[in-house]
Amino acid sequence: MKETILKLDNVTKVYPNGTVANRDINMEFEKGEIHSIVGENGAGKSTLMKMIFGIEKPSSGVITYKGKEVHFESSMDAIKDGIGMVHQHFMLIPSFSIVDNIILGDEPKKGLFVDTKEAAKRCQELSDKYNFELDVNAKVSTLSVAKRQKVEILKTLYRNAELIILDEPTSVLTPQETEKLFDQLRFFKQQGHTILFISHKLEEVKQISDRISVIRNGVSKGTYLNDELTMEQLTNLIIGRDLDNDMDAYKTHEDFHDEKALVVEHLKMEHNGKGVLNDISFAVKAGEILGVAGVEGNGQIDLVKCIVGLQKTQYEGSIRICGTDTDKMNIRQRRDLGMAYIPEDRMGDGTAGELPISDNLISTYYTREDINGKLFMDNKKIAKVSDDLIKTFAVKTKSAEAAVNSLSGGNIQKVVVAREYNTNPKFMIAEQPTHGIDIGSAEFVHHKLIELRNAGAGILLVSADLNEVIDLADRIIVMFDGQISGYFPDGNDVDESSLGMYMLGAKHQSAEEIGGALND
Amino acid sequence: MTDKNTSSKYSKKYKLSLTNSKLFDTIKMLIAILIALAITFVILCLVSDDPVNALKTILFGPLSKRRYIGSVIESFIPYAFAGLAAGVLFKSGGFNLGAEGIFIICGVVIAAIASAPVTTSPILHPILCYLGAMALGGVLMIIPSFLKAKFNTNEMVVSLMLNSIYAAIASHIVRTYMMTSKSNSVASKDYLATAKIPNLYEPYRISICLILLFVVMIILHLIMFKSRLGYQIRLSGSNPKFAEYSGISAFKLAISTAAIAGVLCGMGATTHLLTQSSFYTPSQSLVGIGFSGMLLAMLGKNNPIGIVVAAFLIKYLEQGTAVLYFVDKSVPAEIVAIVEGIIIMLISSQHFLRRLREQQLLKEGLEEHAE
Repeated sequence: MKETILKLDNVTKVYPNGTVANRDINMEFEKGEIHSIVGENGAGKSTLMKMIFGIEKPSSGVITYKGKEVHFESSMDAIKDGIGMVHQHFMLIPSFSIVDNIILGDEPKKGLFVDTKEAAKRCQELSDKYNFELDVNAKVSTLSVAKRQKVEILKTLYRNAELIILDEPTSVLTPQETEKLFDQLRFFKQQGHTILFISHKLEEVKQISDRISVIRNGVSKGTYLNDELTMEQLTNLIIGRDLDNDMDAYKTHEDFHDEKALVVEHLKMEHNGKGVLNDISFAVKAGEILGVAGVEGNGQIDLVKCIVGLQKTQYEGSIRICGTDTDKMNIRQRRDLGMAYIPEDRMGDGTAGELPISDNLISTYYTREDINGKLFMDNKKIAKVSDDLIKTFAVKTKSAEAAVNSLSGGNIQKVVVAREYNTNPKFMIAEQPTHGIDIGSAEFVHHKLIELRNAGAGILLVSADLNEVIDLADRIIVMFDGQISGYFPDGNDVDESSLGMYMLGAKHQSAEEIGGALND
Repeated sequence: MTDKNTSSKYSKKYKLSLTNSKLFDTIKMLIAILIALAITFVILCLVSDDPVNALKTILFGPLSKRRYIGSVIESFIPYAFAGLAAGVLFKSGGFNLGAEGIFIICGVVIAAIASAPVTTSPILHPILCYLGAMALGGVLMIIPSFLKAKFNTNEMVVSLMLNSIYAAIASHIVRTYMMTSKSNSVASKDYLATAKIPNLYEPYRISICLILLFVVMIILHLIMFKSRLGYQIRLSGSNPKFAEYSGISAFKLAISTAAIAGVLCGMGATTHLLTQSSFYTPSQSLVGIGFSGMLLAMLGKNNPIGIVVAAFLIKYLEQGTAVLYFVDKSVPAEIVAIVEGIIIMLISSQHFLRRLREQQLLKEGLEEHAE
C-alpha cells in the first residue's frame, strides 16, 4: 500500500451565485503517482483544484494533506505546504526575466537586497536538473508558449512543490510539445513528485496516467486504474452516454454556386514594427465551414479583429464580406452586410454579465423592426423573442430576466450563439466557439453551426481545438507566425499530427498550394 | 402573455427571497436606513437631554406644519435634477463629474436673462431662462466626454478642472458686468418680476417646477427602460466592450448622454435660482448642488424614480433636523450629514448583507441540484 498524500472527504463547493460546482467529492491521491482528473468542461475539475490549492474555500468537507487536516486561507498556505499549481492561463510577467518571475514573492535576501546572483544560480541548477533547457536570464516575453509553461513548472519546483497540479497543460501545446511535456512528467514521477493532471483530452489522459478520477456534473464518478479502463468506458463515465462525433452525417451538400461569404486578399498588418499578419489570402464560400487551426497567438486574434472591424491599427489588403469591400467600415456596417460574430471572450466581449438574458439576446439587432414600436422598444416582443431563443437553444435558466452571470459557461455561450444565430447571418465568425464549455453544450453549438452552414451561411471557424476543426471544417488552413503555413482542401482527409507539423512551423507549403485557400 | 406567465410562475417561489436581486436591493436599502437611524439615536442620546423626542422631531417634524413641507418640496427639486443628471452619466458608464461647474456657470446666463427686460410676458420670461441654461449646460457638459471619447483624456480630471474654471469665470463675469452697487458681495442685479415662477399653492412655496420635475422623471424613466437610447446606455454602462462588439458607437453615446445630463443641470440651476433667490451670488447660490447630485444618483441606484425619492428623503431629513434645531439647540444640524453618510456607505458596500444572501443561494443551489 502506497502512502496517501492528499485526501478529500465529502468536499462540496457552492458559489455565491448558487452554482454547485462540487458535491460530496471523495478522492485519494498517492505519493508519486500521475493522477488524472477528467470530466467535461464545466464538470467542476478546476474548482476542485482551486480548493486544493487554497484559491477557493470548500463550502463543506475536509481536505487532508500529508495526514493533517488543512484549511488553506490562500494559495500562499498551499505553496508553503508543498503544493504547486500551473494554471491554464499563465501567471507570468512578460517584461521580467525567468529568474525574476520564479523568485517573485519568495526572493532570497542578502541584507536588504534581493540576492539575484544566488537566485539565478539556484534556478539554473533546477532547470538543468530537470532538463528544462532554459536560459534563466532570458526575458519571458521572448519565450514560446511551451517554454513559458516550463517556467511555470520550474516556479513550483523552486518552491519545493511535492504535489504539482497541472490545469489543462496541453491545451496550448502542439502534439509534439505535448510529447515532451509527458516525458518530463514521467521524470518528475521518478523523482517522487505527485502529479495531478487535469484534462478533457482522453487520449492524453490514457497515455500518461497511473490512475484516473472522473468528475461528472460536480459529482465524483470514482477513481480507476488506467490499465483496467478502456477508452469507451472512460467516455461513458465522463458524459454518461456515447459521444456523437460524426458531424459529417449532419452536413447537407446544396450548391450555392460558389458564392463567396468572405474574401480576404493580401492582408498585412504590423504591430509595433513587427509583422503580425503577413500577406494572408483566403476565401470562405457560402455553405461551407473553413477551419483555421493554429497554436494560440499566431495571428488568429488579429485576423479576426481585422475581419470584424474591431482592429484599432490600420491594415493593408482587402476584406470583402458578401461581395462588398469593407474598407473603413466599422463593425456595425459590417454586421449590416450579414456578418455575425461569436467572440472568444464571451464574458468580456460577448455579454454584459449584470444585465438580464433578454437584453443580451438582442444586442446585435436591437434596432430591428420586429422588436421595436414606433417610439420605444417593444418589451413584450423582446420577451417573446428571448423566451423562444431560450427554448430553442435549451438555455438552462429560471427566466429571461435572470442576469447572464448567474448562468454556467456553457449556457452563457448558448446565449451568445443564439443571439448571433438570430441575426440570420450570411457569414459567421466562430472564434473558439466551444472553449471551456461542457460537452453537451459544445455539441449543441456544433449542430447549430452546421445548421447555419447547411442553410448557406459561410462560417470561419477559428479554434485551437484540433478535434473541433477536423470534425467540423470542410476545408482547413493552418496559421503559423502570422502566415498561412498549410492548406487542406478536404477537412476529412487530415489527422492531428500532420496539422501539428504545420502549426509548429516544422513544415510550410508552397505558395501555389496555399493559393488554393483563396481560389478553390 | 408569456411575460405574465413566467412572472407568476416564479414570483411564488421567490417571494421574500434575498436571491431576487431587486428585492435584495430594496431590503438592503431599508436595513441601511434603519441602521443609520439607530446610530443617529445613539448620537442623540449623547448630545440631547430628550433623545426620544429629538428623534421623533427629526422623523415627523417636517409634517407638523405645512410651511415645512412646502420648504422640503421647494428645496429638493433642484437637487433631484442634479441627481438625475448624474444618474444618466453614471448609468452610461461615464465618470464625468462636471455637474457642479455647469450649475454655477448656468447661473450667469439665468441671472442675465432674468434681470434683463427681454420680454414682458411672465410666462415667456422664465421659459427663456430655462432654455438659455439648458442650452449652455448641454453644450458645456459635452466637453469632457468629447475629449475622453476622441483623445482618451481622463474624464474625471478634465471635468473637475473645468468645475474650478467655470466657477472662476462665473465670478469674473458677475463682478465685471452684472454687479450692483448696493451689494457688498459679488452678486448680480435683482431679477425682474416677470421672471418669477408662480407657486401652485399659495402661500406655500410649492412651485410649478414640481410638475416639471415629475414630467422629466417620467420621460427619463421611459428613455432609460423603453427606448433604444436607454438600451445603449445600459449596455455601455454594464460592459463597454460588449457595446462596441454589438456595434454601438461609444462616441455618439458619450455625447448624447452628456448633452442630456447638461440639459438637466440647466433645468436644476434655473429652478433653484428662480424659486429660491432674487439675485445670483456665484460663490453661494448654486454651490454644492452638482456634487450632491452624485450622491443622490448612488442612493437611487441611477434609477430616475429612485433618485427623485432619494432627493426628497434627504431634504426631508434635513428639514427634520432644522425643525429640531428650533426646539433643541444642543443638537447640531450637521447630524443629518451623519445619517446621509452612513446610508450611502451601507448601500454602496458590496459586502453588506452579502453573507445572508449567499447562504440562501447556497441552500437553493443544493435543493435544485437534488431535484
